[in-house]
Amino acid sequence: MADENRAIKKPLPEMTPVNRPFWEGARAGRLVMQKCRDCGSWVFCPRPLCVECHSERLEWVPLSGRGKVFSFTVIREVVGRALRGFAPDIPYVTAWIDLEEGPRFCSNIVGCPIDKVTIGMGVEVVFEDTGEGVVLPKFRPGQAAA
Amino acid sequence: MSIRGEAAIVGIGETPTDRLGSKPGEPRKSTAEYLAWAAKLAMEDAGLAKKDFEGQGLAAIYTTSHSQPFWPEEVASILGLKPGVSLAGGNGGASSVSLLGHAAAAIAAGLCDLVLVIAAASPFGERGAHRGAPADTRDYEMPFGVMGPNCKISFVMSRYMHESGMTAEHFGKIAVTARYHASLNPNAYLRKPITIEDYKKSRLISDPIRLFDCVLPANGGKAYIMASAERAKTMRKPPVYLLGWGECNNASYGPRYRSNPLVTGISEAGRRAFAMAGVTHRDIGCLNLYDDYIPIVMLQIEDLGFCEKNDKAFFERTDFTFKGDLPIQTGGGMINCGQPSTTGGMLHVIETVRQLRGEAGQRQVPNVRFGVATGLGAVNYGKNFGCTAAAVLGNER
Repeated sequence: MADENRAIKKPLPEMTPVNRPFWEGARAGRLVMQKCRDCGSWVFCPRPLCVECHSERLEWVPLSGRGKVFSFTVIREVVGRALRGFAPDIPYVTAWIDLEEGPRFCSNIVGCPIDKVTIGMGVEVVFEDTGEGVVLPKFRPGQAAA
Repeated sequence: MSIRGEAAIVGIGETPTDRLGSKPGEPRKSTAEYLAWAAKLAMEDAGLAKKDFEGQGLAAIYTTSHSQPFWPEEVASILGLKPGVSLAGGNGGASSVSLLGHAAAAIAAGLCDLVLVIAAASPFGERGAHRGAPADTRDYEMPFGVMGPNCKISFVMSRYMHESGMTAEHFGKIAVTARYHASLNPNAYLRKPITIEDYKKSRLISDPIRLFDCVLPANGGKAYIMASAERAKTMRKPPVYLLGWGECNNASYGPRYRSNPLVTGISEAGRRAFAMAGVTHRDIGCLNLYDDYIPIVMLQIEDLGFCEKNDKAFFERTDFTFKGDLPIQTGGGMINCGQPSTTGGMLHVIETVRQLRGEAGQRQVPNVRFGVATGLGAVNYGKNFGCTAAAVLGNER
C-alpha cells in the first residue's frame, strides 16, 4: 500500500502548560524536573500540584543528568500502529533510569551495544534533536551515580 | 456496614472467544452482538429474563475501543434495559473484580436487587475507534519507543529476575501449568499442552518477555449477574457469595517518583479481601489471577501473601495444578482463553464461580469452598498496575 511507503513519523509529546518547562529545558540542553518547595519531594511526570502534599509551590530544578539503569528491555517487535515509526530502529533499548537526585525516568540507552547494557550500569544524559522542534533526553554509558 | 455475604453471583455468561477479523476481509461479530449473546447466556444460567432487570442495576465495563462517556447508556440501549442503577467499569482489566464490590454495595444498600455486569469487545477490525493514550504514556513513553504493556511489563520482569534470581524455568512452570489447565477446558482457545522447552523456545518480543508470557488478544463477551443473598437462594444455580473484597488504585510503594514496581496494589486489595472474608490462606482452594503476563501472576501470589517476596524456592516446590498444593489459573487464564480487551478479567470471576459450583469438569479442584479472583488494569509510568482489585468468593455464606 502507498500508505506504508510514506515515511512514518514517531510520536511526539503534546506540549501543555504543565509539562512545557520540561521540554523547553531539554531544548536548552538541561534535564529539569519539578520539586516541591514545601515538602521537598520530586514530582515526575509533571503535575499541577505536589503528589505528596498537594502544595502548588512547585519549582523546576536542573538535575545532574547522571543515573543508573534500574531496569531495561530490548525492543524486538513493533506493537501498535502508532509506533511503526520505530521499526527501522529495532532492536533498541528502553530503560528505567534512576537519576542521581532520585526520580526514575524512562528513556533509551544509546551509544552502547545492546548486549553490554546491564542493570546498575552508570549512565549520563545526552540530548537528541528529533528535528521536529522536540529534543529528547537519552542516556549513554557514563560515570555511575553516587 | 460490610458487604460480606450480602450479594451472590447467580448467573454467568461467556461467549466463545475467537480471533475473527484478525485477517484482512475476514468477517467478525460486532461488540453489540457479543454483548447481547453474553447477556442472554448469563440470564439463562440464572433462570432470569429481561423483564426481571427493569429498574435494576446494570454495570457496563469500558473496553479499549469503546470508552465514549455514555457507554453504560449505550449498553442499556443495545440490550433494551432501563436500569435504575447504572455503574461504569472504568478500571480496565480490574473492572470485573472492582464491580463485584460496587454491585454488592448497591445491593446491600437496597438500591437494587439484581445487577447485570457485562463486558464485550471485538477489537479486531475496530481499530479506528481507539482512544488516545494517557498523558504520561503519550508524552514520556511513546516518544522513546515504549511498545505498550509488553515493554512496560518487561521492565518489571527484568528487575524481578535481577532481584529474585528467577529464571525462564520459573516463568515456564507457570506457563506450562496454565496451558495444562487450558487443555482440560473446552472453552479455552489454546489447548495444546506445552513443555518448559516450548516456553523457552518461544520468541523474544521485548527481553525478557517472550511470546508465551503474553496474553492473547481476542473477541468475545462475558457477563455475570449478582443478586441479594435473599434472592440468590431462589435461583436455579447454587449462589456463589462475595465474602471479601478490596480495591487499590494508583498504589505506590516508596516515593511516588521512584516506586517499587515489584509490589502491586493487590498486596493491599488482597489483605482487605481476606480480612473481610475472615479466611486464611489455607482456606483458599483456587486462585484465578489476572494474567496479561506470566511474571505478573507470580508477583500477585507473593502480594497476596502465599509466600514471601522473591521466594524462588516456593515457586520451585509448589504444585500449582488443580490437583496440587495451590491451584492457580484453573481454566487456563486469559493467556490461553484469550483477552477480549478489558473484558478479559471477567474470565477469572467466571472460572472461580465454576469451581465453587463444582462445574469445572475435568479440571475441578476437589472440595473447594473458597476461591480468589483478581483484576488489574493500566500500567503506570515507572510503576506497576494502576488499578487493582481482589475478591474472595465462597459457596457458603
